Amino acid sequence: MDQTHASSPLAGAVHDLATEVVLALRSGDHLATVCGAAGIDEENRTGIAAARVIGADLLLPSVLYGRNPHPGDVAVLDRAVREFPPKPDAPAATAWSHWHMISTLRRMAPPPPGGAAPTAYAEPDAAWLVEAPWQAFTHQLSVLAPLAVPAAPSAVQRAAAGRTVDLARGFVRAVRRRDWLQAAGAGRWLAALGDAPATLGLDSGLDFVEQMGGHDPRVALHVRAARLMDGAGAR
Amino acid sequence: MTTTATQEPSGRPGPGAGSGAALAVLPGVLRAALGWTDAHRARFALPDDVLEPHTQVNGTLKPLGELAQLGSTIQRTTAPGTPEHEVAGDLVAYAWEQVREGALLLELLRAEPFAAYPYEIYAAFAGYGLRHEGFEALARPLTATRAWAHTEQHANRQLGLVNSERRVGTPTHTDAGAVLSRTWLGGLSEPWMFEGPSGYALTHTVFHLTDWGRMPDRVPEKIDGYLRTWLPAWTDGCLESGQWDLTGELLAVAASLPGPAPAGLLDAVWPVLAGVQHPTGCVPETGAPAEDPAPDPYPFIDCYHSTLVTAFAAALSLRSLRPPEQTDGPPPGRERRTA
Amino acid sequence: MFTTDTTATDVELDLDAALNPGEVEGIYRDSRECAYLALLAGGGALLLSPPTPRPKKG
Repeated sequence: MDQTHASSPLAGAVHDLATEVVLALRSGDHLATVCGAAGIDEENRTGIAAARVIGADLLLPSVLYGRNPHPGDVAVLDRAVREFPPKPDAPAATAWSHWHMISTLRRMAPPPPGGAAPTAYAEPDAAWLVEAPWQAFTHQLSVLAPLAVPAAPSAVQRAAAGRTVDLARGFVRAVRRRDWLQAAGAGRWLAALGDAPATLGLDSGLDFVEQMGGHDPRVALHVRAARLMDGAGAR
Repeated sequence: MTTTATQEPSGRPGPGAGSGAALAVLPGVLRAALGWTDAHRARFALPDDVLEPHTQVNGTLKPLGELAQLGSTIQRTTAPGTPEHEVAGDLVAYAWEQVREGALLLELLRAEPFAAYPYEIYAAFAGYGLRHEGFEALARPLTATRAWAHTEQHANRQLGLVNSERRVGTPTHTDAGAVLSRTWLGGLSEPWMFEGPSGYALTHTVFHLTDWGRMPDRVPEKIDGYLRTWLPAWTDGCLESGQWDLTGELLAVAASLPGPAPAGLLDAVWPVLAGVQHPTGCVPETGAPAEDPAPDPYPFIDCYHSTLVTAFAAALSLRSLRPPEQTDGPPPGRERRTA
Repeated sequence: MFTTDTTATDVELDLDAALNPGEVEGIYRDSRECAYLALLAGGGALLLSPPTPRPKKG
């Protein structure tokens, strides 16, 4: 674990897991297990919690390269869904990432005949997102960046598609504030949607964000995802 | 979340999308900022040694030139008969008196004939109709030289020189469009590279291009769209980092765009700037606003510019937000070709 | 199956925060201006005094 970025055991595990996802995205090697490489298995509660934080991005290399995910990663993600369901009063972002993990599992790794699928979870509400000021909107979307993947429709994705100018403003705001993680998440959405204002300069902006904030593997993860999706969105 | 209050009600501002929040504060902001300026007009007075080589131009002639420039724009943007119109006119007259109806500017030009700034200051008055024949007689051969046409300076400043030439009525030394395309704004720069220096370059590009907000139609369509898209993101950062002077300049830019006012932006930002304005009317250039209601909370040099800019931006914003029939001032916009 | 309860509680608290983080504080810093390098040697007097005459060629 890289201690310089680990303010807690969970933060350290998240860092390690994100680093492995980035490596898998870079190499395109679908045979590798992300969780195995990060030293996480189903018996490691901190590791499972880290998988809950990374969420569906655990399977992102498979999603973006169109390959079958490693069974070990599927098992850890499945475990994270079951182990940390949102409380009834959980914030909307928490509910959404939980929902997205379940729908990604269903899409990428349907349970074998007779196997138990995770409990169904109704798609949460996104009306609050549509109404949110563009600053808060971008921040929330950035937290929900794992939902920015091709062919994964959701109310969040539709809200984002309807507010790309706001997302682009949020990207500009995040860079000005030197909030690289938020900028990377917003940039990932813009790349996924393929509808950023031309004057934004998203490609060079993402290169810049990666150079400035790439020491945080979550930043590198979003930038890598953006590059792999660029042009594959609704454009 | 931070509490920067640039929260537009919707991300898709359109004409009429505003909440009226700007119009609720603007008349008071304009009145207070002009009142402070009027009460401190003696601080703009030129010292006796203003022409001496050791005297700092930036603390003497520059503030007075700005008083003349912004005062004349406010006067022309407000309705005749209103107190704001009268005060602004008085301030320009005061500045003209300070330069001895142009005679002092001629002395300045005789002392530094190859400098551009005496001409730029003179143009602030000339654009308002205050002229000095002797100054123009000396300036005429100088502005006809190759050297004048090749003055080395930033593109946005060169645009200022072109605007000064337009105001004085001399042939412009170069094509404004070509200069515009060399500016940070004209290049439609990546908006995430915005910061203080590029911000000021951008605002001045628009001021010179539109003759300080008088000619919104000189803003090309591409630049208009670019500014409407990115101004909200930029003002947000200025508010969060306490760059009030630049906030005011960006608001003036927003109010100098052709077509409908960017009401969502004006409604989001003006109430914040109004909250920063001191009860006596002054606005600090940067930083946390003073809590003390006693007069003169900031040194003059740290607040005169932002206060003038606030008044200027407020006058332009009122013009932009109010339907034309509610103002008696000249309509913004249509360029009239004068010989 | 898992480790102690105290650890579990800590992890859950950290997890709640990680799943719904607030915004970080903005960091603002503008570029400084550096005068044209060749002019630095002349300092402030440069504006007021002519450049040192150079020997004429030829």
